[in-house]
Amino acid sequence: MKALVDCNNFYCSCERAFQPRLDGQPVIVLSNNDGCIVSRSDEAKLLGIKMADPYFMARSIIEKNRVTVFSSNYNLYGDMSWRVMETLRQVLGKNKVEVYSVDEAFVDLDDFSTATLWTAAHNVKETVEKWTGIKVSVGAAPTRVLAKLANRLSKKDKLKTGCVMVLETEAEIKEALRQTAVEDIWGIGRRYAHKLKEQWGIFDAWQLRSLSEDFARTHLGGVVGVRLIRELKGVISKEMQEELVTKKMIATTRMFGSPVSSIDALKEAVATYASRAAEKLRRQQSAAGVISVFIISRQEKNDVDFRGASYGREITLPYATSFTQELIKAAVSLVEQLYQPGKQYKKAGVILSNIVPDLSVQGNLFFAPAYNCNRKLMEMIDNINFSHRDDVLKFAASGTSRNWKMQRNFISKRYTTRWDELSEVK
Amino acid sequence: MEGEEFYGAAYKGSKQFSQHQVNTANATGFGAATDDYAERGIDLNEQLVRNKPATFFFKMKGDAMQEAGIFDGDTLIVDRSVKLVNGSVIVAILNGELLVRRFHKNFSSAFLIAENNRYKNINLAEFSDFAVWGVVTYVIHSMSV
Repeated sequence: MKALVDCNNFYCSCERAFQPRLDGQPVIVLSNNDGCIVSRSDEAKLLGIKMADPYFMARSIIEKNRVTVFSSNYNLYGDMSWRVMETLRQVLGKNKVEVYSVDEAFVDLDDFSTATLWTAAHNVKETVEKWTGIKVSVGAAPTRVLAKLANRLSKKDKLKTGCVMVLETEAEIKEALRQTAVEDIWGIGRRYAHKLKEQWGIFDAWQLRSLSEDFARTHLGGVVGVRLIRELKGVISKEMQEELVTKKMIATTRMFGSPVSSIDALKEAVATYASRAAEKLRRQQSAAGVISVFIISRQEKNDVDFRGASYGREITLPYATSFTQELIKAAVSLVEQLYQPGKQYKKAGVILSNIVPDLSVQGNLFFAPAYNCNRKLMEMIDNINFSHRDDVLKFAASGTSRNWKMQRNFISKRYTTRWDELSEVK
Repeated sequence: MEGEEFYGAAYKGSKQFSQHQVNTANATGFGAATDDYAERGIDLNEQLVRNKPATFFFKMKGDAMQEAGIFDGDTLIVDRSVKLVNGSVIVAILNGELLVRRFHKNFSSAFLIAENNRYKNINLAEFSDFAVWGVVTYVIHSMSV
């Protein structure tokens, strides 16, 4: 049996754990730059606040109902996420837990017999809540697609289910499938859901399951569709995934706190993103052969529009590198090519690609990189920055003022990762 | 000093260490007799943090617990996984606020007790929203003047 353990309104729950007066009150968390709503407490959902809505559009509901608003505090959420996952690993065993996202994990419950399954799922839930203060829902079923579906149903009526749902018998599974509309099945996008309903009159998961594999192969995206049907039938077709070890592309992109028009500020921002991307690159022990930079300008006529004109360009580096100074140099030269005076920019990004393992970087006859020295330097910078946090050491090209840094007007303290920001008790 | 020691991360996490982290004299002359008895040093993380995912730190504000040795500005180590027993010092949630008190229970009722005469005992029967946030396991008090 698989189970999906999913944190309830994760970012809101992290904030509440340290501000218990917010229990039972509507709470929302905003995305980077306080742009959109990315997490809502149940009370906020009931007020009709929608996921991913821009903050300014929901503002009147928020103010009228005294909803507590937070900027996203990723330092806190990251640490709390680690605690949840570590609790699962300690309770169930290291190799039984697959972290699926910051607030979801698939766990393997094969060691538990039918009789003990519900108790096991319940214990997992209780332990995570006790140890971390984060409430979770657990959906257990024979396959991951069914587990996801069970989890969703467990959240629908929290009082009745107690946030635990186990689908084991054929009858239980049938009942759950009947209650699940096609668009709510994991892996069915909006387009397929529309097609299923309009063209073939298939509205729920139970109907979908009765389709033949051949039909799925032709009409539901080939092998992906076949796997989905099999998973719905209780046949495991997606195994526990190994962690994604090496990324093939690394991107760092951010929205500016306020629009930027000078080339120097733009260069500083891009240099900072390049250093961040280089850090990620080194952490996975890779080097990049291509760097690309894009900058997005604000549309003059329409301020509210989220899109804008995007300008991008890339350079193939003389040899694959992971050294910050080399990547900054390339990134800054790209900014010089892309920059147009008089325009206001609101976002920029750096993307590293053609990623190769760092140890096997192939030498180039025409360049003799001072390899070992630089590698030592990077290692020192990374160690110091990771242990002291907040980029104690950075390249001068990244600037010191950072006027372009993102807006976080409602940020809470980093209660779990900073000695000087601990929560106070009386 | 070796380069590695200079730029190594400040803290590598408890309970994971390699044989190379056990310091030996590495004497160039006569082999140091103590090397055969080399041990890993004491790690405070290991001693004071018994269950890392469930352990949190808090800062004490006020004098409510000073007779228990918890002073204003002290750092509290709080373990959520530790079982609550009669007499534990806990971080409690009361009226949406976080309080440090001693938990005391008798046959009929339960109290939160401050360790300072100026504070009244709190009878939990009068509150509906009492909850235990965690159990205080250690206090860190700075002696600097």
